[in-house]
Amino acid sequence: MNASRFWNWFVYPGALWIALLFAVPLFLVLALSFGHVDDLGRGVYGFQLTNYADVFNATYVPVLLRSVGYALITVILCLGIGYPAAYFIARFGGKYRYALVAALVIPFFVNYLVRTYAWVALLADEGLINNAIVDLGLTQAPIQMINTPFAVIGGLVYGYIIFMILPLYVSIERMDPSIVEAGKDLYGSPFQTFIHVTLPATQPGILAGSVLVFLPTVGDFVSAQLLGGPDTYMVGNLIQDQFFAASDWPFGSALTVVMMLFLAVWMVLYLRRATRGEAEVL
Amino acid sequence: MEQSEAIRIDGITKKFGDFVAVDNIDLEVSSGEFFSLLGPSGCGKTTMLRMLAGFEVPTSGSIVLNGEPVENVPPHKRNVNMVFQSYALFDHLDVQDNIAFGLKRRKVAKEEIGRRVGDALELVDLSTRATARPNELSGGQRQRVALARALVNKPQVLLLDEPLGALDLKLRRQMQVELKAIQREVGITFVYVTHDQEEALSMSDRIAVMSAGRVIQCASPEEVYEHPSEEFVAGFIGISNLLQGKVESRGQVRVGDVCLPVPDLDDSYSVGDSVQIAVRPEKVAVDEIDKPAYKIVADMFTVQGEIESMVYLGVGNQLTLRLSNGGRLVALEQATYRVQSHDQWKIGQPVKVGWHPEHCMVLK
Repeated sequence: MNASRFWNWFVYPGALWIALLFAVPLFLVLALSFGHVDDLGRGVYGFQLTNYADVFNATYVPVLLRSVGYALITVILCLGIGYPAAYFIARFGGKYRYALVAALVIPFFVNYLVRTYAWVALLADEGLINNAIVDLGLTQAPIQMINTPFAVIGGLVYGYIIFMILPLYVSIERMDPSIVEAGKDLYGSPFQTFIHVTLPATQPGILAGSVLVFLPTVGDFVSAQLLGGPDTYMVGNLIQDQFFAASDWPFGSALTVVMMLFLAVWMVLYLRRATRGEAEVL
Repeated sequence: MEQSEAIRIDGITKKFGDFVAVDNIDLEVSSGEFFSLLGPSGCGKTTMLRMLAGFEVPTSGSIVLNGEPVENVPPHKRNVNMVFQSYALFDHLDVQDNIAFGLKRRKVAKEEIGRRVGDALELVDLSTRATARPNELSGGQRQRVALARALVNKPQVLLLDEPLGALDLKLRRQMQVELKAIQREVGITFVYVTHDQEEALSMSDRIAVMSAGRVIQCASPEEVYEHPSEEFVAGFIGISNLLQGKVESRGQVRVGDVCLPVPDLDDSYSVGDSVQIAVRPEKVAVDEIDKPAYKIVADMFTVQGEIESMVYLGVGNQLTLRLSNGGRLVALEQATYRVQSHDQWKIGQPVKVGWHPEHCMVLK
């Protein structure tokens, strides 16, 4: 009894940490989202819903939709690129399996911002790729790559694909390889076996990876800021601008709260699915 | 049982790099036969089975299933089904959908799928668990689902890879009986891989005993047990007492300074050949030395010895005997009405040991 009471104390540092540095700021954001800006551009607490009305006005709805659209495309691309990679490493990597996983993870030791700058160097009009194709005479003028949705989504895929590959890898590695053989033994062609056996068996990894990529991608501002232009403006940029450029903290807070609620709905759906299916929650 | 040929294996070899897993095997399996591949782990029996299923392509040789060569036919186009050691059930499907999997891939009509799945569930006594998920089932039930999932397709040959290996002993015994009964009922050719000699002996019509990629002996359980062709077979199937000796004459082998009568040797043996004599422990009779013969009868060969150690097995005793000529024998004594608790053996007790000469197996 005393021993367990002793160990109970260990919960307080963590609880305090979360209360001070997570719950309190969150509450401040929530409170500020109902406030307004005074004449000097400072946020003032109050109670009004105008900020929330602004979030859903015609100027910003396309930004929200674009963010969700980019995030969905990013998830699909990550899945398309990540699944074969994870499958190959987990099933055929043999003794090089861990080395291959490490090779995938190591680039992510480099800060996301720095990696995105590297993409700027690659894709810019005077960048590596354009210089190369112009010098080789493939085109007369550089091809517009930067400031396009292609560059922003590419940057997002590059930035977050590891969060797709790792859960997929775990899921595929845990799968009993003999169920794939059983699928073929029961007259499934390789394609049918993949659809009816492998995909369902690795569904927990697909779900976990999709959520882990989708959540940070929707709110991302780095990729759109460095690789995009006005036409690729995402909600993350919008929020950032409210806090740093426009100095409209109450509106930025309202945007943040709406985003969080939107993401929380997905998170809850995922958790319910994952716990019901006894899937691993990553 | 019709005697048409279900499987013919001609000169099958499978190499993994330099390792020869299966070394030039020839086998024929009749239609409706319960055929076992028996051997220690690494003997190539599972590789042989996987070549029948189509998961491995032979390095050389041919496999003919019901008259059609299949070495290069992929698994999903072969009319054979497999029961996997791990069962390999699909956890995302319930029991009936697991069983229906093969029928659905073959585009069997929906009503027929329903009927056949129902029959298969009944066959394995799982009708009440049709909508359960595999992870809600016990080991024995999962095993039955795996069996039903394969049998429902009415394959020409059913391949079983140590299907009872994961079950506890009692359940395994029970499943052996059931498996044999199911095989009789459906009449499908079974090829059964196991390292458990008792399992192979109790269920099979014929057994191929394998070692190091080769078939050492292929015969009925009785033949393999009573007349093993080689020392390996004698040793692998049951405990055998092996005595080194030399052929003395057509009916005698000298072991140390004793001449043992043996069944008549054929012309392949000549005087002076080194041979081994094997005697099954349950064929060895042991009597107290200073009392009238109890189990040893007149035409037995007898030697003297003493009890070296004794293991109580419940159904009997396993005695290790040291013979007067220095040899050692194991005797398995049934706890019949003749063996009472008051005449238990004592360590070091001198005894008479005897066996019928025809129970001596002479091995080259």
